[in-house]
Amino acid sequence: MSSRKAQREEARAKRLAEEQARAEQERRTRRLRMLGGIAIAAIAVVAVVIVISSSNSSSSGLATGAQAKKTAASVEQLLTGIPQSGTRLGNPNAPITLYYYGDLQCPVCRDFSVGSLPSLIANEVRKGKVQIVYRSLQTATRDPATFSTQQVAALAAGQQQKAWNYIELFYNQQGAEGSGYVTGSYLDALARQIPGLHIAAWNTARGNAALATQIQSEGQQAAAQGFNSTPTLVFQGPKGKLQPPDAVPPYAELQSAIKQVG
Amino acid sequence: MRALSRESSGWLMPAIAILCVLGIGVAGYLTYVHYAGIKVLCIASGGCETVQSSSYAKVVGIPVAVLGLIGYITILASLAVPGENGRMLTCAVGVLGCAFSLYLTYRELFTIKAICQWCVASAVLMTLLAILSTVRMLRADYSSG
Repeated sequence: MSSRKAQREEARAKRLAEEQARAEQERRTRRLRMLGGIAIAAIAVVAVVIVISSSNSSSSGLATGAQAKKTAASVEQLLTGIPQSGTRLGNPNAPITLYYYGDLQCPVCRDFSVGSLPSLIANEVRKGKVQIVYRSLQTATRDPATFSTQQVAALAAGQQQKAWNYIELFYNQQGAEGSGYVTGSYLDALARQIPGLHIAAWNTARGNAALATQIQSEGQQAAAQGFNSTPTLVFQGPKGKLQPPDAVPPYAELQSAIKQVG
Repeated sequence: MRALSRESSGWLMPAIAILCVLGIGVAGYLTYVHYAGIKVLCIASGGCETVQSSSYAKVVGIPVAVLGLIGYITILASLAVPGENGRMLTCAVGVLGCAFSLYLTYRELFTIKAICQWCVASAVLMTLLAILSTVRMLRADYSSG
């Protein structure tokens, strides 16, 4: 009698244990599913944020209408009256030279070019204290052929003393990184925003093999000096050479570098 | 009926709370610096100013420091929500914050090519929060009743 009761108790305990184990297994599975859902949702949210953020900067980058006129006017105002020769901006006899290694598709170069660079151009370069030489170094542009085409477009404008107009307009209207926005029509539209640029002559100059060779040679020179990121900024003056510590140095840091090498 | 009996690892909640407070400190400082327009204190030269002034320092016009601050405060507040929903919320915000931090760290390393120690500290805190909140969600103990 008592043995039957013990057996019943044992069976009950076994059943309870099995139910508990099953429930525990179900809970674990449910939580793992929830975790999977959370991970997928998190990745989706971050992807959406990246897409929104990229589309905000406009995938093509090109300004249109009144905005295009405003951008072109501000670049024109910044550069008018400052001598240009090739990719050199400023008085060729200026005691200090800033070598600016850049890639036109590099977003950090854009940050520098629309950030503290205009103050440097409006003050030290305009006063003839500093000259800037832009040199090409491929970093952000994935396709070497596209890199060469876009940088050559700037050099071709340089044959009409308008390289800096082209460079500044490009950075001001840079598209979303990796979106393939640099096309023939994009480069052409930028050129058409430059007042006084002779488009036919610019197009002819773009076919000049010497300009593509110059781009290659500048890249090799940069590599030889150990430069592998853009913007790389090198100030050279009577007291020597100096690279600002920040990749996007604020204006005060640029002034300090000028003081140290000048 | 099922009721939450206890947390299987009692140390998890205080640990998450401490990490949140540290995170609020870091993100709060970066938010303050952003709106005060002053230079970020950087241990080693370089990175911080570069990263903070880059186009990746904002998402749809909102500074990422502000997003981080909101994230840490949300995680801390979610600890007050009882039950499985609370643990799930903590875990969801932690994992989301971690995923976003990884994206920003990728941008620092491969696009901006500069490192901001404050951002790295925040990324480490968010990663730890994601791990601890996940463990907390998976290990929570229930008893039938």
